[in-house]
Formats: sequence, structure tokens, C-alpha cells
Amino acid sequence: MKKSRNKPTELLVGFALAAVFLSVHSPAFAVDDGARAYWKLRDGSHLTSVQYLFLDMQATDSQMFDPSHFIFPNSEAEASLFMASYAHHFTLFDRPSSMALNLLGGSADVDINTNLLPTQFLPPGVAAGASLSQSATGFGDPTVQLDVNLLGTPPLVSTVDLVNYEPTWTLDAAAMLAVPIGQYDDDKLINIGQNRFYGRLALPMKYHFGAFAPGYMTSIELTPSVWLFDENDDFLGRKLENDPLWQVEGHVTHDLTRNFFGSLDLLYRRGFQSEIDGDEVGDELEVGNLGLTLNYQVTDNVTIRSSYSSNLFGDSDLDNSVVRLQFVYGWHRLDENFKKLTKHGG
Amino acid sequence: MDLEGKICSAISSGIMVLALASSLSAMPAHANDRLQAEPTNKKPNILLIVADDLGYSDLGSYGGEINTPELDKLAQEGVRFTDFYVSPTCSVTRAMLLSGTDNHVAGLGNMAELNAPNQIGKPGYEGVLNKRVVSVASVLRDNGYHTYMAGKWHLGLNPDEIPHARGFERDFSTLVGGGSHFDDAWNVEWQTPRMPYTEDGKPVDKLPEDFYSTKTYTDKMVQFIEEGRGDGNPFFAYLSYTAPHGPLHLPDDWLRRYKNRYDEGWDAIRQQRLARMQELSIVDEGVSTADRLYFLPRSTALTPAVRVMQGRKMELYAGMVEYMDDQIGRVFDYLKEIGEYDNTVVIFISDNGAEGNDLRAMVAGQVGSMGFLHAMNNFAEDAHNSLGRKGTYAEYGPAWAQVSMAPFRLFKGWTAEGGIRSPLIVSGPGVQGAGELNKQAVLHVMDIVPTALELAGIEHPATHEGREIAAVQGKSWAGMLAGSTESPRTSEDWLGWELFNNRAIRQGDWKISWLYRPFGIDDWQLFNLAEDPGEQFDLSDEFPQKMSELVALWDDYQERNGVIMGERSPFERSRKGLPDPVPEFDSYPPLRGLEAFPYEKLIEMMSGKAGAK
Repeated sequence: MKKSRNKPTELLVGFALAAVFLSVHSPAFAVDDGARAYWKLRDGSHLTSVQYLFLDMQATDSQMFDPSHFIFPNSEAEASLFMASYAHHFTLFDRPSSMALNLLGGSADVDINTNLLPTQFLPPGVAAGASLSQSATGFGDPTVQLDVNLLGTPPLVSTVDLVNYEPTWTLDAAAMLAVPIGQYDDDKLINIGQNRFYGRLALPMKYHFGAFAPGYMTSIELTPSVWLFDENDDFLGRKLENDPLWQVEGHVTHDLTRNFFGSLDLLYRRGFQSEIDGDEVGDELEVGNLGLTLNYQVTDNVTIRSSYSSNLFGDSDLDNSVVRLQFVYGWHRLDENFKKLTKHGG
Repeated sequence: MDLEGKICSAISSGIMVLALASSLSAMPAHANDRLQAEPTNKKPNILLIVADDLGYSDLGSYGGEINTPELDKLAQEGVRFTDFYVSPTCSVTRAMLLSGTDNHVAGLGNMAELNAPNQIGKPGYEGVLNKRVVSVASVLRDNGYHTYMAGKWHLGLNPDEIPHARGFERDFSTLVGGGSHFDDAWNVEWQTPRMPYTEDGKPVDKLPEDFYSTKTYTDKMVQFIEEGRGDGNPFFAYLSYTAPHGPLHLPDDWLRRYKNRYDEGWDAIRQQRLARMQELSIVDEGVSTADRLYFLPRSTALTPAVRVMQGRKMELYAGMVEYMDDQIGRVFDYLKEIGEYDNTVVIFISDNGAEGNDLRAMVAGQVGSMGFLHAMNNFAEDAHNSLGRKGTYAEYGPAWAQVSMAPFRLFKGWTAEGGIRSPLIVSGPGVQGAGELNKQAVLHVMDIVPTALELAGIEHPATHEGREIAAVQGKSWAGMLAGSTESPRTSEDWLGWELFNNRAIRQGDWKISWLYRPFGIDDWQLFNLAEDPGEQFDLSDEFPQKMSELVALWDDYQERNGVIMGERSPFERSRKGLPDPVPEFDSYPPLRGLEAFPYEKLIEMMSGKAGAK
């Protein structure tokens, strides 16, 4: 005989799970943070994520895969990258916070027209005008990010906190640091690791419209940030420096159903003037990408996300596109225990 | 709550009661003005305000914590009554309200939607306000009154049954019993998927912009009075709100007006209300009040989060009540502005007890049914944070309904006191005793017709449009309101009720009640309401003679009004799905005492970290 179940409690858990996992993923630093990256989860929530990124670029000026990666001017590059992430949500100084760890790996290939390459940068044995192809494979530099909410979200410790949670404006502060322990070959123009510390300071903010309930949620999200780079003192035996990169990431997200949301994505970056041994190389970067994200919550724990973006404004001598496919698994001890009690004969 | 919290709570509730008590005893200047206004030859206006499913103890002037300043002010200017009766459901009450006679005579022997097979087509069971009666609006209109209606009708859908055909010269009405309060206008019944509205007797194709039931009804009523006042004739205005009937809907900016006000849970709120009711003398000290219904959990046994989720529904309900009060204030302000307030008798009532049944589940039906399809199309959304908005159908359930009906037992649909007791406030010219509470008079909704007619100096007609009209059974309050008597009824007078086969008779302080199990015993029980308003102690064994007398009155009532007991009843299987009632003991189970556990600690316990400890 089918047992009747406690409806209020079911509702409660449904809400809690939805709040935990609908938007869950960890920031994807290689491209952008992504939609709903700074939505708050319950204290004690865990997330793991794997994502595949395919990046394709053609440039007649200095270019990069992500703000840490310097790519020489006049190049074509492709990268297939995997990123594994883990994020934990907790309360810090009575504010909802999260710590995220990311590990990048994969391969990248670059084809460079050496006609325009200063001769001092030509790798040994490569004549000016010759075609130059290089590739790199391995792990990138792991990153760690701390995000703390400043305004608009109370600590989400108890189920009561979740039930009462109806955000409007929220403002966070986030700091990310990359540790240069990834693959790096000082003979190559391209590497997965960067041989330098770099990081980012961000002020993620968002505004929620309407009911904060699955199926109803709509948000406008804006994250201004600045990337800062240490110098790479062994770039083909020379010193590579980059100016700060200023970035604005925006999203308009909307629930299409209880388990499915879409987002229009914007990413604008400017700055990142490169210097090698004190000489400017290429121009300052300006690139604006527009994209689309679809996010589907498969189960209480599993979410799948896919996105595509491409540059539509900014430097005219640049083309890039990014395709992402991401799987997220999230859990919270109480939710798992609830399932044990209700689904397994409790 | 810890000791400090308890003390603070006691102090604050004491301050609240004292403030309310002093405000009720200290008659405002305007109340004096109303009483001392020079008598004029002009007949009084009559403003009849009916709330839909409002509970007995919801208003501030009846002990409720809901903010109802306009109705509390009305209570200061007029008189409140403790023993005012209506029917267990709305259309049945409305039939009596407008006809002045028993519902079994007026056509609503049963709700039209729930007539039993053996009742269909029988006189008194037409399901509409039948032609054996004349509506008070028709009588007043025929005697020079403007007659206006805004709000819920629920007394017939056909052209000759709608408000315009039953005496209202202007109307903006929803003809059915309930549905969305927004412009999506879905009806609770799939058979009529959209709520039919009429304006001045014509179907409304498009609802006004920014339609919200309570606001729009108020707008229309003010408009009708304004457009009709040029000739100086008095008006009868029937402002028949659909609030706070479910679905609990509110405009966005009112959704969280009572944010977390009810997280304490229904037991604590009910106790606070009972304390205030005692302070206000609405409930006597030492009398027995109803226990929490046996199948409902004590709120302290629920997790804090579930209490918050349940409390959210009560927040919505309270918001609807306050919103209605606010709109009633708009009408009062308008009447003052045009100089008619002091010549207007205002009567405020609810149509039945608060709603504790799961109407949503009843109308949504089973998977695969038309009701279910209707629910899928219109009110499937039930996420916690979306409740109260379009597309949702929240109700606050039996536990909160019991709070609304404190100190009584049960709620809408039942002939227990919780189904049939209503607040009543009367104020206006000729109403003596501003701010007083009348506990002597036993009054009935049928009394409003003879009262209105006597205040207007009009005789109830024996015929109308060539038809013989059933006699009024209600008793006029005019003498009582003027201060010449305490009650229009003597101790020998009695009142009777029957709906869905549940039935009751009250005579003096005695009441017999027949209720389906498990809330009754499928047989008569005897209660003394003076000592036991909660109907907790069946005295039939101790007073068999009294029992016999009242059962004989029931036979008289049934015979006199043509009551046909239904072959079927929506409540005949109330036991299904409910556990068997068992006696409660304070000392058992032994883990009780959770009430004393600090609320904050409970919240902490429910958090992940504290739980891990």
C-alpha cells in the first residue's frame, strides 16, 4: 500500500532542494562566471562540477583564452579544456559565503603567422615567415575563490532561513587567486599554466524580480571585476607583463519551467596591454561577447548546463567563440537524510 | 520562548489589550457626533458590509491581532455583539440575509452545488433566491431607496435571478461562490470555468484594469453612490466582499505585510487571541473553549520551517483582512466627504465561519477529472514564495481556521459554533451605546431584513409582483439598537440550523447539535453555551429533559421550514482519511513540554551545524 506523506514537509524539502540546486554550478573562470553563479545556497551545501570548454579564436592582435593567457598576435588558436570544480557554501562573519576550487586541464593548439612576429620572439630554428604551430597539454593553474555576500542575503543556515529567503538586491565581494603550478614550458609560446600569480577582484550584484519560487524566478545580474597579473619572468626567456583587465559580466535569467532556465549573457573586457621586456606588444584588448545559456535541473542533485557565446562587438580584428557543457552534482546533508527517511521506509 | 521572551510577549500582549480596551471605552469625538446628530426627516442610508469566510476573532475589536483600524473605529462608534448567527456556508446565509426568512424557505435549503438527489427540484431547494421571497433590495427600491450592490451574489445565475433582477438598480457582481481575486477570473468550479461578472445586469466582458476584487468592489460602490446621490434619496448599499475567501490572493505590495507574524504557530496565536478576548469581555473567564481539533498537530511539534510555511498562509489571510479593512475605510471616508456618514447605518458581518476545509482539493478532484484539468489550467502553482499571487490557490487550513474561530469549535460548513458564529458591528444614527459590547442578545442574519425595513420605516410586503411572499422570520433590532431592549428575543425564542444534514437548535444558553462523525457522534448532543462555548461537554445524560425539549423544537423547525434531510452529504464521510479521535492528556506522551523549549533553540537545532552536534 502506498504510504501517504507529509505534504508540508515535502513542500519544504522541494523548496530547499530547488534553492540549493536550481542554479548551481561553480564559477567557470576560463570564460566567465556564468549565469546565477552567485546565487546563494544553504550553509553546508557542496557542489562538484565538471565542464568541457571548446574555445576557438582567430586574431590579428594579442589574444587570450582567458584573462591569464597571453597569446601572440596574428594567431589562430583552439583549446579543448576540462575544468573540475568544487564549491562549499558556508557562513563567514555572519554572511553567506562560498569557497570554490577549480582545476583546469586540457590541450591547446596555436598557429602563428611569423611574418609579423618580432624576430626576437621566434623560437629557435624557426625562420621569419615560416608557419609555426605549437600545442600544449596538461593541467592549468588551479584557482581558489572566496565570495562573501555584503548586502541582500541573510545567513542561510537553517531551513527557516531558506523558507524566508526572498532576495531583491544583493551585493557580493569576491576574490580569486590562481597559483602557478600548472603545466608550463618556457620554450613555448603557448601553455596551459601561466607561470605567474594572477587573480581577480569582483563585486557581483543582482536583482530578483517577482516571486522567488521555482518556475517564477527572474534576475538581472552584473559583475564588474578587475583582473590583476603578476609578471611572467620566463616567457621565452623574457619578462611578460600585462596591465589590469577590466571586465563586466551580465546576465538576464528567467525560469522557463520549474527545472529549466535560460539566460542571455554578456561579457565585456578591456585592458590587458601586454609588454615583453618593457616593450608593448599588440594593442590593448577590447572584446564583447554575447551568448545564451540553458540550464536544466535533471534531478534534485544533478544539473546540466550548456552555453554558447561569441564576440559581437569590440575589436574588429578578433573572432572567438566558446561552447560549454557542464554537469553539476550538489548535495546537502539534511536533504540527503530527508530522502533516506522518506524514500526508504522512514 | 525563554523566560525573558515570555515576559516580553506577555507585556506586549497586555499593552495591546489595554490599548484596545481603552480605545473601545474612550469614545472618539466623531462617535459622539454620530449619536448627537440632529434627527432629520431623511431616511437613513444602510450600508451592509459582508466579509466572506471571515473568522469570529479576526478583527481587532474581537480580540484578533490583525490590523483592522477602520472596523475597530466602527466598533468604537457602534455596538459589537457576541452572539450573532449566520449559516455554515455563504449562499445559504445570503439567502437569509436578503430575504429575512429561513434558507429552506428562500431556496437555499442546500447549496446549489451540493443538493442531494432527493432535494433537487424540491421547493426551498431551488439553489437560487426563489420567488417565494422578496429581496430586501426590491422592497427598499420600491420605497424610494437607491439600491446598490458590489461583490459576491451566489444566489442565481439566470437573468431573472441576478442582482439586477432582484432589486439592485446598480450592481457590479460576481455571480458565483469563489475564484481568483485577480483579472484571470477563474472560478473554483470547472463547470463554470470563468467567474461570471455582471454590471448593472449585463455581463462584464472585460474586468477593469488593475482589477483586484476588494479594491474594484470598493471602487464600484463609491461610484454608484456618487452617481446616484443627486436626487437626495437614501441608499441601501450591499458591499459584499469576497475577501478573505480562498484562494488567498493579494496585490504584490501586500503579500508580506504580515511577514513572519505567524511563525509562532497556531496554538500560540490562538492563546493570545483568547487572552485578548477575555480582556475585552468577549469570552468570559472560566468558560470552556474548544480544544485544538484532535487530528491537528500542536504547532510546537512542527519544525520551525514548517511553522513558517504554514504561517505564510495565515499571513496572506491576515493581509486580505487588513486590505478589506483599508478599503472599507475608503468607503467611510467617501461618505464623510459627501456628508452622508452620519446618516448611514453600517452593519458589518461575516457570512459564515472561517474556512477550514480543503476546498482546493475538493474542486481540483482526482487526476483525470475535469476538476483536475481546471486546476492544471488555472491554479497549479503552489511554490511557497509564489503563494498569494496569480495562478496559486492557497488556503490556510483547519488549524488557522480554528484560530479565526476562537473560542469556538470547528469552522465553515459545520453547524458547530465555529461554523455559524460571526462578528457583528452596527453603527449609525439611532444606535445607542457607542463602544459597547452586547452579550445578551441572540441575533440571527435573518434579522437584518426586518431591522433595515424598520429603520427605513417600511413594512415588509405580503405580496410582491403579484406573488405571495413568505413571512419574515427574523426579528428587528431597531428597539435594541435604540436602547429600549437588550435583545429582540426572549429566553423562549429559539433558532434553528440545518445544512448537509448537520443541524442545531439554540434556545437561551442551550444548544443541541447533530454532527457527522468524527466531529460529532451522528446523533444529538447537548451543550450549555454560557459555560461551554467551545461545545466540549455533552450534557445530554445530565439534562435529558432539556434535550427532549430542544429536539422537539428541531422537529418543529424541520416541519415549519420544509427541511428535507439529504440522501447524501459532503460531510457523510468526514471520518475517511482522519485518525480515530483519542483523549488528550497533558502528561502524555511524556516528551511533551516542548512548548517550553526556546524557539531560537529550535531554529538552531534545525540548522545543519547545530543538528550535527
